[in-house]
Amino acid sequence: MYVYLYDNFLRQKKYDSVIKAVEVRLTDYGIAGKILRLNNFIDPKQVIDDEIKRGAKTVVIVGNDATFGYVLSRAATCDCTFGFLPIGQNNTISEVLGIASGVEACDVLSKRRKESLDVGWMNNRYFVSQLHVLPSKLKVVYDERFSVTTNEKMEVVVCNLQPFYWKKDKKDNAQQVVHPQDGKLEAFLRPLTKQGWWGYKYEDPSVFPFEEMEIVSDSPFTVEADGKVSKEVKVKIKLAHGKIDMIVGRNRKF
Amino acid sequence: MIFQKSTTKNVVEEEMTQFEAPVSSEKVDEVETVVGPSVNVEGDFASEGNIIVKGTVSGSVHTSRFLSVEPGAKIMANVRAGNAKISGEVKGNLKIRETIELSSTAKVLGDIECRVLSVEPGALLFGKVSMPGIEGAETRSARPRASRRGEEMVEVGE
Repeated sequence: MYVYLYDNFLRQKKYDSVIKAVEVRLTDYGIAGKILRLNNFIDPKQVIDDEIKRGAKTVVIVGNDATFGYVLSRAATCDCTFGFLPIGQNNTISEVLGIASGVEACDVLSKRRKESLDVGWMNNRYFVSQLHVLPSKLKVVYDERFSVTTNEKMEVVVCNLQPFYWKKDKKDNAQQVVHPQDGKLEAFLRPLTKQGWWGYKYEDPSVFPFEEMEIVSDSPFTVEADGKVSKEVKVKIKLAHGKIDMIVGRNRKF
Repeated sequence: MIFQKSTTKNVVEEEMTQFEAPVSSEKVDEVETVVGPSVNVEGDFASEGNIIVKGTVSGSVHTSRFLSVEPGAKIMANVRAGNAKISGEVKGNLKIRETIELSSTAKVLGDIECRVLSVEPGALLFGKVSMPGIEGAETRSARPRASRRGEEMVEVGE
């Protein structure tokens, strides 16, 4: 049995036609199922657990990167197969998973090509797509073997599924991208150097593939993991032991 | 620029949508360890893949594959690698399994152990270079100094 978790933004009128087309296609394939709408007061883990008890085997997330991160960061441990129907803008994870946006995603879903995906673990919660530490004075310790520091502030981005996009500076037209590989986490460190009185300039990023890392600082720094923002003084990041079963497309990038 | 806004997911996401998906990602697809400029690494720095150093590393460096020390980079550590290209400064012993290349901007203060050594004009090197392949060299270097001197003296005496 299939359960579909719709993001709240899909209520907007501009998505009506896409949603209708998707639902028709799903009915054609015979994989239509119960539809649940997410909002800020719903805990996806509890909802999914309830549905699994009622016999659900596949949970399909319908929305964008934010929806994907929101659901899987909470429900990564649920014992079911996950699917993803990317709709609207801000869909970079779907490219990595090889799922086309809109109606074509139903074809991928119907083929049920399953892969196990890694999940990142940060302090006491999961993250699936990306973890972002905003610039501050940090010290990063990798696998308890070596530490990385900078003279000024530093920004850290840990990628699991979402690719890392960066530019050298504002005027740089050539946008650079690094695709994360499955099986390990990649940390991108970008130090800032002072330029002029107030300005800061980003240096070229450093890249470290790792299994476990610790970010420490004397003052609290902001961490954003799958859209959830928190202030921390010490963050321990590693690959979670468990994996999630995900329906992916043929053109996936891992 | 996504990383210069200090707040909110929405801003980041708006910016992300402006970027188009890259057409050719093959070039940068292979993620390797990169120590960027103005980054200091301390400790036992080991990696299974290639390492590119543009900043400062102190402690020890170990990789079974390729190590590249870019101009301006500084390594104050003993290095072990499969292959290496040095264009920056290294203070420490280098143990390279295959080939080491010293470019014109290289400064090496330490012993080098390798199979193939290539030095560009202008490279600075202070240390002992040892390469396997010369018969008897290994056994001679393995013997203790005092006894070797004794042998030499005997040879002279004869």
